[in-house]
Amino acid sequence: MTDIAMPGAPRKGSLLVRDARTARRNAAEARFRTYGLIAVLLGLLALVVLVVSIIGNGASAFRQSYVTVPVTLLEEKLDKSGTRDPAVMAKVSTFGYAPLIAAGVQDAMDAAGIEIEGLSTKGAGGIVSKDAPAQLRDFVLSNPGLLGQTVDFTFLASGRIDGYFKGRVTAQTAALDKNVSPEQLLLADALKEAGALETRFNWSFITAPDASDQRPEAAGLGVAILGSFYMMLVVLALALPIGVAASIYLEEFAPKNRITDVIEVNISNLAAVPSIVFGILGLAIFINFAGLPQSAPIVGGLVLTLMTLPRIIIPSRAALQAVPPSIREAALGVGASKMQTVFHHVLPLAAPGILTGLIIGLGQALGETAPLLLIGMVAFVREYPSPPIDGIFDPATALPVQIFNWTQRSDPAFVERASGAIIVLLIFLLIMNLTAILLRRRFERRW
Amino acid sequence: MNDLALAAKTEAALKPKISAKGVDVYYADNHAIKNVDVNILDKTVTAFIGPSGCGKSTFLRCLNRMNDTIDIARIEGEILLDGEDIYDPKVDPVQLRAKVGMVFQKPNPFPKSIFDNVSYGPRIHGMARNKAELEEIVESALRRAALWDEVKDRLLAPGTGLSGGQQQRLCIARAVATAPEVLLMDEPCSALDPIATAQIEELIDELRQNYSLVIVTHSMQQAARVSQKTAFFHLGNLVEYGETGHIFTNPEDSRTEAYITGRIG
Repeated sequence: MTDIAMPGAPRKGSLLVRDARTARRNAAEARFRTYGLIAVLLGLLALVVLVVSIIGNGASAFRQSYVTVPVTLLEEKLDKSGTRDPAVMAKVSTFGYAPLIAAGVQDAMDAAGIEIEGLSTKGAGGIVSKDAPAQLRDFVLSNPGLLGQTVDFTFLASGRIDGYFKGRVTAQTAALDKNVSPEQLLLADALKEAGALETRFNWSFITAPDASDQRPEAAGLGVAILGSFYMMLVVLALALPIGVAASIYLEEFAPKNRITDVIEVNISNLAAVPSIVFGILGLAIFINFAGLPQSAPIVGGLVLTLMTLPRIIIPSRAALQAVPPSIREAALGVGASKMQTVFHHVLPLAAPGILTGLIIGLGQALGETAPLLLIGMVAFVREYPSPPIDGIFDPATALPVQIFNWTQRSDPAFVERASGAIIVLLIFLLIMNLTAILLRRRFERRW
Repeated sequence: MNDLALAAKTEAALKPKISAKGVDVYYADNHAIKNVDVNILDKTVTAFIGPSGCGKSTFLRCLNRMNDTIDIARIEGEILLDGEDIYDPKVDPVQLRAKVGMVFQKPNPFPKSIFDNVSYGPRIHGMARNKAELEEIVESALRRAALWDEVKDRLLAPGTGLSGGQQQRLCIARAVATAPEVLLMDEPCSALDPIATAQIEELIDELRQNYSLVIVTHSMQQAARVSQKTAFFHLGNLVEYGETGHIFTNPEDSRTEAYITGRIG
């Protein structure tokens, strides 16, 4: 070794004294940590505000007011001929049933000794949902034998009365509202006192179909949940095999040349294409060209499959890439074929990553709204779709579209419904993400 | 052993198991192996030595076509196994690799049980008709790899839970289980401590009774201890090939001498 002078002199100075440079570096680090902490706190704050506002608005959708009234099923009103012929009885429309319910409310008032000035019998009947006559008519048509008797029925209270108990409607607003009067509110209070009106958990919010603008209290998510479920079935059945097969082929078998490069770039591009574009594609190809029915889960599922595919392929390829090459070499070294190597060794190790990608992709598809608007899923559907597989061709809506639909309605009761539906959607998404985490934990293996 | 049997054994040992003629390997434009001719004998340990990047691992991987998995690799020349060209288009590399097993630098057991690790090869090659036969194969492979006594009570435990040296012996057992004729070892001891290394070297010496072994190593002492033949590679050329004793005591090429005396490499 020749003598080469080192640049700069040896460091001198006590270790106990911090020099200016070190102090600056430490300050920079402290600043960076603060920024990070602020960013995380802001994110958390936004999440808390979101959750609180959604739950604050929507939790009440799961509770609903019900009125129990004794309804006398008058024979002369409901079956004038007295033949009990269903065809004849069906001629009496819901308008014929409404007065019976009003009379029933009056009877309930009389029984409880409630007297309210300025409230007619018809007005008293107004506290019951407009859905009630249809419910009563269905009951009578299927039980004609009960005609002439008095039966206790539990009906939904009207949206305004329900809103009164949820704080949405007050005596002041009722005075200005032609759908509800302050006297009706007094009656509701009195009935509640007497035990004929109660607020309880509302299963029909989850199971019932949508209802019209005048009956927010009857609107439910049944059709939307079924529609979303059918679409997820279609997406799962198509996107899982196609996505996994494509990623395995591209990652393990495809030659690396210009064509596969172009394919790779385009898969990444597809993941970034706005979802509404897929909606237009679906409208043009699946509905206009292939002639599939509008508003059907099959079309929604196909569109969402297209949208989800790149989002499954990209994480699946990443999972396959993450399998160490030594495992592949080991398998090839004992004479396994390429396919045996992939299916016996690589795929099991990549499975947790693929599953996670799949479930997150499904979760995104479940929450997707825009493409569904274009293929007619934003419809008013009161009929449940049939069971699968036929059901995927029946009209249905989807959860996010139902939320969108309800936010468009004028009655404030639908605001509550929409927030409630968001809670249901978020619960489904939470369950799916939780499943992803659990599956990853369960199948993750070390090597 | 009578003279006749001894003569026959010598005869068999002298017959080349693998013979490479004019082998050139290119990685894209990089000429990694330059015109290598070598005859690898049966029932012999052949060591490939040389500085890093000299092409010894590349050449080793040509012998069971592991380089096929690298898209940019291109091989010219002829490699004969028992007189058959292994790069003939009719040859399926899967069949070749069953005959020419390989053990890698880093122990790479499958993340499965010890039993599954060893039985995988026999299973995919259909070597066992039933479970009893398979168990027999696994036991004999583990015995040959001197691992049986250590793992016989926990065959269903994960292979990745063994120590480094045990894992490497498991990999050797896995390679042996497919009943290969040639066993290639790519620096099998570089990730192991001296005790595990000694066990593996002892094992290599025992395996020599049945197989032709080729071992790539960075340790010249190891090459001197375990091999009968040594090939010295430098910058893609096969510089010198001969009896191990001869190479280490009396190298003919100045580069070999420089390497084994520590002046290059």
